Amino acid sequence: MELERRGVVAPLVVTETFLPLVQAQARARRVDPRLLVVPHPVGGLTPDELAGRVEGAAGDLLRMADEARGRP
Amino acid sequence: MSADWDVAVVGAGAAGLTAARVAAGAGLRVVAYERLGPGGQLVNLTTLHDHPGGTGPELTAALTAAAEGAGVRLAYAEVTRVQPGPPTRLTTSEGEVTARVVVVAAGLSPGRLGLPGEAELAGRGVSTCAACDGPLFRGRPVAVVGDDEWTATEALELAGHATAVTVLVPGEPRWSAARDRLLAAQQRVEVLTGAAVTALRGEGALSGVAVRTADGERELAVAGVFPFVGRRGPGGLVEGLAADADGRLVPSAGVLVAGDARAGADQTLAAAEADGRAAGEAAVAALAAGAGSLRVVDPTHGVRPEPAGAGAVAASTAAWTDVALFTNSKPNATELLRGLGGRLQAHWALPELGFAAKESASVAADPDQIDWLAQRFKMVLVAVGD
Repeated sequence: MELERRGVVAPLVVTETFLPLVQAQARARRVDPRLLVVPHPVGGLTPDELAGRVEGAAGDLLRMADEARGRP
Repeated sequence: MSADWDVAVVGAGAAGLTAARVAAGAGLRVVAYERLGPGGQLVNLTTLHDHPGGTGPELTAALTAAAEGAGVRLAYAEVTRVQPGPPTRLTTSEGEVTARVVVVAAGLSPGRLGLPGEAELAGRGVSTCAACDGPLFRGRPVAVVGDDEWTATEALELAGHATAVTVLVPGEPRWSAARDRLLAAQQRVEVLTGAAVTALRGEGALSGVAVRTADGERELAVAGVFPFVGRRGPGGLVEGLAADADGRLVPSAGVLVAGDARAGADQTLAAAEADGRAAGEAAVAALAAGAGSLRVVDPTHGVRPEPAGAGAVAASTAAWTDVALFTNSKPNATELLRGLGGRLQAHWALPELGFAAKESASVAADPDQIDWLAQRFKMVLVAVGD
């Protein structure tokens, strides 16, 4: 979150379980982070399951990145 | 008596956030200090067994929102010393502040077995956070060491992941009857009383523990061990304040103590909230008594926090080809980031990706590391926070 305050585009990858906490922290820090939400958990996943997490979030990441960069 | 704050709360877990909300709700100027982020031990719980608040993170979010809504200022700094006043002086990692009343709700330190090899095996089988690391032990046996409410709670959390959870109780359990019933209902959980862990086994990763019981010593093959013994309160934090043998503070005039940090506290969420509420009310009463017939009014009470973006600095001069990954080093976090980073690298035809890592998710990011990332990169994909 500190990176966004300093002008860096800094998407945060967060699991659904910890999303409310990250949102609360963001409010407390007066920042509005770009959030990339993935299903919980991440630790303990097999490589295939992890690839599924990547696949599920990649579309949002690319859209978020293009938007920040000002590309269609 | 002038002071920076009417009330300073040390710790923003369930007790601290509740105390802060109650005091701020009465119109007082309240700051709550937390080293990393709000929630305390709550953050470690994905299931709350004795509370209707949903998950730990959800309840943390609700408590934080309520505190902020009441006007509490959350400050991210470590309080290293409290000198009772008046006014009370707090030494923090961000400098010294004064307060008319202080509430210490700093909780307890993580569990510790005190055995050789424990530090080396931390994160490699030794953990104190079932919600964080429990999924790593899916399909494998684990042990939990302790005798209190947290021990039982974490064992219940782990029962959702591990094939077997052996709870090693040094003496007899101190957890509540309600917890006992929940544990008894879990087929995967076995409670072994009078059991002391005498050694950790494994090179590079934990493979088991040696356990001594009245029947002798035996080996227990486990992939993970979660110690909730050896936890200590913030004894020594407050100058002149007595503590029990476990470092938990005994409240005295001028210093309020709430939650697990208080000697004799019940280690339940409900007790922490009740304790926090009582401490908040006591702070209000103490200041009202000191103010005579004057009511203390905070001129900023009800004023919304500064808008999003306030305090932001000029954008980095780096180019869009300068993209990095920043991991908190939690299990699989780096792998997830590399997967996502790879997709972005292909999408934007980036020649390379920068990389940085925090040593541990439980510590704040190194300011030098943040400086380097902010100066060097246009975009940083973060897992997660900071």
